[in-house]
Amino acid sequence: MLAAPGVVWLVLLFLVPFYAILAVAFGDLDPIFGNAVPVWSPFGWDFTLFTEIVERVFGGELGQVFIRTFVYVGLALTISFLIGYPVAYFVSRHAGRRRGLLLGLLLAPFWINYLMRMLAWVNLLQEDGYVNDAIAMFGVDRGSWLDGRSFTVIMGLVYGYVPFLILPLFAALDRIDQRVLEASRDLGMGPARTFWRVTLPMSRQGILAAGVITALPMTGDYYTADLLSGSPRTSMVGNQIEFYLFEGSQKNAGASLVLVLSVFLMVAMAYYMWSTDRTTRELR
Amino acid sequence: MVFHPRERGSRRPRVVGIPRREFIRLSMMGAATAGLGPALLAACGGDDDDAAAGGVQLSRPDNPVTLPTFDDVEAIADDLPVESGTLKVFNYQEYISPDVLAAFEDEFGVTVEVTTFISMDEAIAKLSSGDTQFDVYFPTADVIGKVAAGKLLQPLNKSYLPNITNVWESLQDPFYDKGGVYSVPYTLFSTGIGYRVDAVVKTPDMFDNPYDIFWDPSNSGQVYLLEDDREVFGMAMLRRGQTEVNTEDAELVEAALADVSELNDLVSVKLGAEAYTVLPEKRTWVHQAWSGDVVNAQYYLPEGETIDNIGFWYPADGGGMIGSDTIAVMRGAERPVLAHTFINYLLDATHSIENYSWLGYQPPQTGFDPDLAVADEYVPAHLASAIIRPQDFERGHQLLQLSLPGEKIWDDAWSKFIAGA
Repeated sequence: MLAAPGVVWLVLLFLVPFYAILAVAFGDLDPIFGNAVPVWSPFGWDFTLFTEIVERVFGGELGQVFIRTFVYVGLALTISFLIGYPVAYFVSRHAGRRRGLLLGLLLAPFWINYLMRMLAWVNLLQEDGYVNDAIAMFGVDRGSWLDGRSFTVIMGLVYGYVPFLILPLFAALDRIDQRVLEASRDLGMGPARTFWRVTLPMSRQGILAAGVITALPMTGDYYTADLLSGSPRTSMVGNQIEFYLFEGSQKNAGASLVLVLSVFLMVAMAYYMWSTDRTTRELR
Repeated sequence: MVFHPRERGSRRPRVVGIPRREFIRLSMMGAATAGLGPALLAACGGDDDDAAAGGVQLSRPDNPVTLPTFDDVEAIADDLPVESGTLKVFNYQEYISPDVLAAFEDEFGVTVEVTTFISMDEAIAKLSSGDTQFDVYFPTADVIGKVAAGKLLQPLNKSYLPNITNVWESLQDPFYDKGGVYSVPYTLFSTGIGYRVDAVVKTPDMFDNPYDIFWDPSNSGQVYLLEDDREVFGMAMLRRGQTEVNTEDAELVEAALADVSELNDLVSVKLGAEAYTVLPEKRTWVHQAWSGDVVNAQYYLPEGETIDNIGFWYPADGGGMIGSDTIAVMRGAERPVLAHTFINYLLDATHSIENYSWLGYQPPQTGFDPDLAVADEYVPAHLASAIIRPQDFERGHQLLQLSLPGEKIWDDAWSKFIAGA
């Protein structure tokens, strides 16, 4: 009975939607309108198109899109940690009474819609935009940031998702008992060794949670590449899914791509859950 | 799927600053212009062999289609009174003048409620779900066949549409809906090349094949194509001299894909549908563009910029890509007589041109004088190729409905292109 809320949550928000994606991916198309016709019975499922999509992922051009997406997300995640961890650490350890204010300020830009913020960057990054004006003051040549560069897309992902990373990190760092850190120093470890030997290991779960929470939406993102680049050479898996679901006539191909992407992401989720479970058992 | 100029509409601001009153006055002076073209398409013959799955006839200029009618979907009777209340309209975002709607409401003492969609795919998905009910719908010409076959529309009763005679004769009896059983034409657009005169080394006219401007390395980093498989591959086919832009031959589509894929390395091509802003702001030099967008660019010029810096190329012989939109009455419309009255109102010469002056997309009205539009400086003289004339429909190539297997060929090719591989 105690597990009932969790089971209901899982069924309503994961299993039912996921089964619906399966029913569309392995389902049919309306012969007149081309709309997806879900086939709910597994006995009626047709795996032809899904197999074709899988073959294109493992050995076709879609494989390159997946690799590009994972490289972008990996780099964006790394940069996000390099920015987000010090920020979360500072707010949790040194902000004192101002931590609420600082957290509010960190989140303030994100009250604005993601799309609007990306459109703002389009203006800032134009050849005659403020970014080029700023770097020109230091004698650096103006750059064409919007001409289809991977760098711009990756930095857009960092900007868009870094708060998702800071908040769980802050929560994890904030939970570390101050007395543990004091004990470390009492035992002769300096600030740097205390960080490496105590703070960082104790924030491992927070790092994993932040990584998963940030990586999942990043991997499915399509608007960042669309707005900040527009070049096929920087397209991500989300762009392919968007095309098949919203513009193309094969909605079941889009659903098949969602399934393939989900499998990859489930591997990451499984590692996170296994790691969390292991840590919990160790604490007992 | 055929992409439409109004798709991606959520990112498109409304056209502003058009000198409406003066334009209407001068345009109507040309109302006497008559005989703007023979019934070119209507005369085409053909057989009915080309049918998509589900029994939808694939219409082509050389294969005109009389759309099926059904016993359980009848046209309304003659001489019925006009209903009162609210007329429910389903249309693209910002694709009808609010002033025209307000005038209609005042004249007939009714309310018009416009519900919008972003793409034709979205519209059809909503309508075919059966969960929505509208009186008037604005489908593109390429989907008329399937929405009629799917019994989403009701046949029109022409006795309520006397203004249909204001429309180009060729489009009163179009090949995609012979006899105009379900639809009347609404607006027109062509696809050509928008470019910055002050930036490109060679204008399209200076190339042996004007489409080669997209492949010119001197424009590297400054080339945009429309974000649409049919428009892009269709352009590549025309560049090769392949005019059957509705082909379902995988080899021809693959050849177009191979050509277009060269653009990734050659010019670092980008995809978009905002020529009306990126060209005046000089964020690109060459942009595959719709005629209406290039004309509208004059209202988005930054300070110090002039429209003279923007050019538009469309084949002088008229053999480029061209398209049209339509209006129809929904099956089960609650106010079918009011719906017919509304359509007739939009077909009126004065109202249609007033609508155009806000919309920017040209109606196929015999009363619309293209030369006067230039004389009035509504369309700058050097962009006159963006004006569509009846003969353009004779020579132009329309992107039309494909069969589902045919759409898969195009979709998969586009997926490969946007993969950037």
